[in-house]
Amino acid sequence: MQEEKRQLRILVVEDEAKVARALKEGLEREKYEVVVAPTGEEGFFLVNEQEFDLIILDLMLPGRDGLEVLATLRKRGLQTPVLILTARDAVEDRVQGLDQGADDYLVKPFAFPELLARVRARLRRGRMEQPHLLNLNLADLEMNVLTRNASRDGKHLDLTAREFELLEYLLRYKGEVVSREMLAHSVWKEAVRATPLDNIIDVHINRLRRKVDEPFDRKLIHTVRGVGFVLREES
Amino acid sequence: MRPRNVRSRLTVWYVLVLAGLLALYAGVASVFLLLNLREDFDRNLVKDVEIVEGMLAKEPSGGVSLHASRPDASEPRIGNFIEVWSPQGALLYRSAALQGQSMGGPPLQDEGLEDPSPSTTRLPNGTRIRVASSVYFVEDQPVLLRVAYSEERLWGELGEFGEVLLLGFPVAILLAGFGGYALARKALSPIDSMATQAKKISAERLGDRLSIENPEDELGRLGTVLNDMLGRLQAAFDQLRRFTADASHELRTPLTAMRSVGEVALQDHRGPEEYRDVIGSMLEEVDRLTRLSESLLTLSRGDAGHVPLRKEHVSLLELAKGAVASVEVLAEEKHQQIEVQGDESLLVSADRLILRQAIINLLDNAIKYSSTESRVLVRVEGAANGEVCLEVIDQGTGIPSEHQPYVFDRFYRVDKARTREWGGAGLGLSITHWAVEAHEGKISLESEEGRGSTFRISLPAAQRSSTSSPQGGLD
Repeated sequence: MQEEKRQLRILVVEDEAKVARALKEGLEREKYEVVVAPTGEEGFFLVNEQEFDLIILDLMLPGRDGLEVLATLRKRGLQTPVLILTARDAVEDRVQGLDQGADDYLVKPFAFPELLARVRARLRRGRMEQPHLLNLNLADLEMNVLTRNASRDGKHLDLTAREFELLEYLLRYKGEVVSREMLAHSVWKEAVRATPLDNIIDVHINRLRRKVDEPFDRKLIHTVRGVGFVLREES
Repeated sequence: MRPRNVRSRLTVWYVLVLAGLLALYAGVASVFLLLNLREDFDRNLVKDVEIVEGMLAKEPSGGVSLHASRPDASEPRIGNFIEVWSPQGALLYRSAALQGQSMGGPPLQDEGLEDPSPSTTRLPNGTRIRVASSVYFVEDQPVLLRVAYSEERLWGELGEFGEVLLLGFPVAILLAGFGGYALARKALSPIDSMATQAKKISAERLGDRLSIENPEDELGRLGTVLNDMLGRLQAAFDQLRRFTADASHELRTPLTAMRSVGEVALQDHRGPEEYRDVIGSMLEEVDRLTRLSESLLTLSRGDAGHVPLRKEHVSLLELAKGAVASVEVLAEEKHQQIEVQGDESLLVSADRLILRQAIINLLDNAIKYSSTESRVLVRVEGAANGEVCLEVIDQGTGIPSEHQPYVFDRFYRVDKARTREWGGAGLGLSITHWAVEAHEGKISLESEEGRGSTFRISLPAAQRSSTSSPQGGLD
């Protein structure tokens, strides 16, 4: 993996102190430099003063509304990608956000792994080159996306199409926690995470486990309680 | 100024209309009376003309005189006023009663040639008279004879009649006003009592109803309609109350879990792994709340009509097969079999995603409440009334009849304790219900305890003109 030339900087415009702090800590753990602005005005000021690689913008801000800030920034020719966080639910709001120049949005309450995935996708760094790889591997687990062949310790794994896609997704995000939301969106292509889907995902994970992990000593698929799943070698 | 209440307004209208009618009546009666009196008058006048004609005599001097034995006695019997003119315009005779006044001057052209049609005119002193004219030959000499009565007595009678009417008028109006007011008050009093009763009915006491004296009359019908409306309101309020209670219960459960798990964990020092587990457990509850709020949002947006349906022609069987494919793994885990039957060519106009979710919820429900190794049957068929039906038939526990009316209510659970382990929030069937109604369809339930349940969705059939687009289902 290539050396980072400099730390990527993220501006978080969020008035809710707890959320802002969690975002800051979580993103800093991922080696980003994070600046928090609690109001729209302050965010606006910071964007004019400093350079950021990504802005995470809450829509419901005291004083200046998030969409307003965004529109003004875009009018001034700001190119920085913007990820909107919104507690609003109406689809029109989301569409409006994207019209104002947002690159992506997440509806509160969002899952943190999902936020991380979106942030990485926007910043296109290091790991995100993996999605284009045709050969994926972790420890003795190998997968060829083109031939749709998966094997562990040289032994062919007999997977259904859905199981293959699920394993592929986990492999692309190896070492990272993948939430059920992410699986619902990316593997099941469902817009809404309706009730039975969680059970369906769990069943598939269990089946995958039976095929990928059960016959082997070293387990690769792990459940992170309350968050999701992760594919990694336990040290 | 416009009177404020209906009662006064009714009375005012009543009085005005009555006054108009009375005035009209008085007018017509007066004219009728006048004409009647005049008819008598004129008959006498014509008779008198003939009498006077008989009394005319030519004097040797060439003049004309009334031939009467006693000049003073002759006049009271006949018309008061008499004039005799020669055609040339010379006054030949004028009765003393005229006191030298002229009844219209010299003869007019053609006057008196026709029938003596009396006309009314005035003497120079203002007395109204009724004049009849006639041309008469006194020994070959034509003369114009005018006979007249004073009309003053007639007008006097008419005036008296008018006075009587005029005096009675305000009395009648006054009586009518009072009567009308009392009548309106009596007629409207049920409305007052309804208003008083309605004021006492509040959201907390929706069980009360308006008392109705006679359900057949207009006010009774109004009361019945209002009572029906109250009934519907009460049902809606009850549903809302149940919803609020159930929703707070649903919210309280994960909150309680989070709270106790967190509080207990903080009571003593533990290792990082244990804390990780505690946080994970709390996050699971957060997840439950998140999904709950999402489902509620879906429903509230559906209620507000904010969910646009992207309708297209869909084969209901294909859609059902796609839904079955999605949830099949859940059935497999319980060794259940899902069988799909029906006619592929039956089309409905539907939003694929929303209707698919509706079917998935029914299937999920059927799988949950059926025992292992049972069968779930999905059947699509056309109905005679131009509808397409989808049935999900399970062999599960069934739903007791007392719960059946509420199964589509939000958060309603047949068995509150038992069903929570499945993680559903009790909104799946509500979402299905909403989705089906948004497609102008109906959903119904037939269930027998211990024998299983059949959920039946009926949707209007789409025209068969267009072919169904390829199914984008999931496996």
